Amino acid sequence: MECKRNSPNNDDLVNSFLLECNLLRENISCDFTGIAIQKPDELDIVWPYVSGNRNEKYKYLTVRYGKGIAGKVISTGSPMTIASFPNNIIGRSTDYPIMLAEKLLSAYAYPLQFKGVPKGALLIGFRDSRTFSQDDKDKVQTTVQKVEALLASNYFGR
Amino acid sequence: MELKDINHASTYIIQSQEEEIKRIALELHEGISQNLYSLYTGLEFIQSGIGQPHIQAYTRELTELVNRTIKEVRLLSVELYPSTLMTLGLSAALKSYIKLFTSTFGVIINIKTVGIERNVSEEKSLAVFRTCQEALINIAKYADTSEANLSFTWEEESLRIVIDDIGLGFDVQEAIDRKLFKGIAAMKQRMIIAGGDCHLSSSLGKGTKVTIVLPIRELGGV
Repeated sequence: MECKRNSPNNDDLVNSFLLECNLLRENISCDFTGIAIQKPDELDIVWPYVSGNRNEKYKYLTVRYGKGIAGKVISTGSPMTIASFPNNIIGRSTDYPIMLAEKLLSAYAYPLQFKGVPKGALLIGFRDSRTFSQDDKDKVQTTVQKVEALLASNYFGR
Repeated sequence: MELKDINHASTYIIQSQEEEIKRIALELHEGISQNLYSLYTGLEFIQSGIGQPHIQAYTRELTELVNRTIKEVRLLSVELYPSTLMTLGLSAALKSYIKLFTSTFGVIINIKTVGIERNVSEEKSLAVFRTCQEALINIAKYADTSEANLSFTWEEESLRIVIDDIGLGFDVQEAIDRKLFKGIAAMKQRMIIAGGDCHLSSSLGKGTKVTIVLPIRELGGV
């Protein structure tokens, strides 16, 4: 699914982001994949591209820099794993809206760089508790490179 | 310890907590934020006077960091205590919170208002606000629905707020038996302290309804 609110105008580019989400979801056989992107010069992070969503909540979600799985991955520039939500999380369960909205119990997110700075996150999620294999993480990293190349060609028109 | 003493103790704990939260929120907003703003303007001034490009770039980074921190502190302050309760009243504060709620959890809340808003004291407004906040967060966490309704009914002698959803719902008796009712008990306790009441009904697969009632007296409100 694509959220038109924050997407670039170029339809091909939008489809390319969505294609990467769909391919990764099929490749890992996970329940959900999503790309979170920080708005330029703002603290807000949105979820413009997702695959495997249960509802349209993602269209309205705005996460703060440093909050939730996407916010933490962007602020630290490091990957993050949740094995059994909401157990052993930092902060409150309400700080992780994508996990609540999509009823995810486990997730792995990797930072997306734009001009050498973390500006987004690629997330894979399952609706059951599990640990992520090195093979899953390698597949995410391969997609990260493709998504970063797409971001380099158009990050909110920049 | 008698039941009366327990009620007095919980009233005291809730009020003390609220006073402390308000104090921290105001300190963040009026103390720390102001200092950060002074730092921000100072850094901008220094930046304009620097000739060396690498130091100028570093100062620009610091200015951006301070600016981001100002925004974070402001949001944290609003999250802790809704200052609009004092300035604009209960309806405006709740509507503002609902806007934030939708952008946080993706759940759309349909608001309906009947009657004319009346003055409600800050203490009682805060009790209603916190109770609504808890009911809405429960929807985001457990109801598994994309939409819910909130209606204000301002009557001659009372304010009635109904928050309902057609989400998953739950077996109320089972929740009581498994002692999962703490949050709802706290909502009820807050409203009782404020002189009102809070009632919850729910059934599996049909959704949940929370009704909050606050008596209002004439002549300057409550």
